[in-house]
Amino acid sequence: MIRRRLLLPVLALLALTPVGGVAHEMGSTRVAIWISADRYRVEIVTDAQALADKLAAASREAPGAALGAPEVRGFAERLRERVTLAIDGIPVDPDVSYVVSPAAHDIASVVTIQLTGPLPARARTLEWTFGWTYAAYSLTVHRPDQAQPIVSWLNGGESSAPIDLTGPAPVRSRFQVAARYLRLGFAHIVPYGLDHVLFVLGIFLLARQLRPLLLQVTAFTVAHSITLALGIFGVVAIAPSVVEPLIALSIAYVAIENLLVRTVKPWRIVVVFVFGLLHGLGFAGVLQELGLPQSEFITALIAFNLGVEAGQLAVIGAAFLLVGVGFGHRPWYRRRIVIPASVLIGCVGIYWTVQRFTP
Amino acid sequence: MFTTSSRFVIALAASSLLVTCPLLAHDFWLEPSAFRLEPGAAVELRLRVGEHFVGDALPRHPAMLAQFIAAGPGGMRPVPGQDGKDPAGVFKVEQPGLVVVGYRSRHSFVEQKPDKFDAYLVEEGLDRIAAVRATQKQPTGLVRELFSRCAKALLVAGPGAGSGHDRILGFTLELVPEKNPYMMRAGSALPVRLLYEGQPLAGTLIVAMNRADPSIKVRARSGVDGRVSLGLSRDGTWLIKAVHMIPAASGSGAHWESLWASLTFELAGPPAMRPAKKPRR
Repeated sequence: MIRRRLLLPVLALLALTPVGGVAHEMGSTRVAIWISADRYRVEIVTDAQALADKLAAASREAPGAALGAPEVRGFAERLRERVTLAIDGIPVDPDVSYVVSPAAHDIASVVTIQLTGPLPARARTLEWTFGWTYAAYSLTVHRPDQAQPIVSWLNGGESSAPIDLTGPAPVRSRFQVAARYLRLGFAHIVPYGLDHVLFVLGIFLLARQLRPLLLQVTAFTVAHSITLALGIFGVVAIAPSVVEPLIALSIAYVAIENLLVRTVKPWRIVVVFVFGLLHGLGFAGVLQELGLPQSEFITALIAFNLGVEAGQLAVIGAAFLLVGVGFGHRPWYRRRIVIPASVLIGCVGIYWTVQRFTP
Repeated sequence: MFTTSSRFVIALAASSLLVTCPLLAHDFWLEPSAFRLEPGAAVELRLRVGEHFVGDALPRHPAMLAQFIAAGPGGMRPVPGQDGKDPAGVFKVEQPGLVVVGYRSRHSFVEQKPDKFDAYLVEEGLDRIAAVRATQKQPTGLVRELFSRCAKALLVAGPGAGSGHDRILGFTLELVPEKNPYMMRAGSALPVRLLYEGQPLAGTLIVAMNRADPSIKVRARSGVDGRVSLGLSRDGTWLIKAVHMIPAASGSGAHWESLWASLTFELAGPPAMRPAKKPRR
């Protein structure tokens, strides 16, 4: 039992130390800290006689007194002289108890000291200092959210790095989730979604009036909302290696059609809808990479889609203010703006199509 | 060399200043289960790190151990032991006579704030290094130091007469007793020589303390021949220590390197006047 307590950890820790490196002078003292939701518990296991000698030396008493249960008067007070437990930088006063295991065979007597106390709800860090050892000791921190405890070596009297008490990321409210995914959706158009921006600009360039513009944008929005949802729920799954080149092709298509026709024809709405389905699958891939919180799945999905929508409307709004307001009804609008811009967009679309089709 | 009266003053100062506050650097010594053995008996050797002769045991660690040897009448041989175990070494003394046990560690590394480091230099009497630091511009930030241990224990199997106490193990820093303490009486002086890389080391503080009252320190600086004479006032277990510091080798990542020599033995008078054996805890 005692053998297990002291010898096995030492042997296990030998394996952690690289042979030939600059090692600590490792003693047999072990400290473990358990963090729970509202309490901390520290367990110190150390050689009983050595601790008794150190306590005696520190208070100028003759060495040799054994650390039997009632013998050491004021044990807790004396122990605290070289032990500091600070929560958010403020030292706390833990409850102290200890048990002495008798010596057995060739194993020295060991004392196990427990320090316990409450953790305030908003506590952020815990710092540990143990000055009753001259050798280095191992500090093992157990946290409820971590399967494996974290082991580090400290010198006697050295303060530990602050131990994080905040645990996993706090559960976010529905509103926070919505705001976060709204931002992510928007950012996926502006500034990170140049291909979607070019597609939307292609739609914008052909429609001089509000009605055909709204028709195209609505068709696109309805389509990508459908496939975003279907993609996220796993109903439809098409590999990005297929979707991404088709999105590039859709950009080239709308740009080239802008050069060939002058007004929005009914088939254009159908084509935009079909391409919208493709873009939605692209958004679904991105959203799957970002991950969706289990608790607010629908909120996050809707917010992301609304963010994408807001990004598109921002692009159209900017384009409208830039060229649509001033030049939309000028006779040269098509010749000087629609055609050169569509040629440019078409070239980029073709280039991307070729690039994305080639593995 | 200090006179008896000045030694007394130093001892008093040491006891009032140092006993309650933890030291900045720690001593290292070998603690055998018994200093006096019957031939054929096994002895356990503990590695101790601590201050004022109170310390923690270090289990045997292959990454730390450079040399662990015993030199006796039968020659020199390694001290066996089990990795991860305290005591770090166990061996059987076969023949009567004096046995010098030696443990030399590999390097350890420590970092300290400059003010702490300077206080530690004063504590250990490393005046030359303190002077260098005071006159030269020092790098800011933590002071990095490599250190290693050269600990010896002098044991005796049988009556205690004979030679071999001054056997040199060849440690980087080594304390060599020039008289057999097992033939000495309390109240007499033990001449000790300090060697660094085999040569006498002058001007280094050498401190002796007795386990019964480690707050009283006998302190003296080595002469040009590396010698001191330490007045051992009482019977019991004695620890003699010396620290030497040098600039760390370039590329070591440290500013300074220190070497810690120690010697432990028991003083109980020659066999004829030795009191009845006390039970050891």
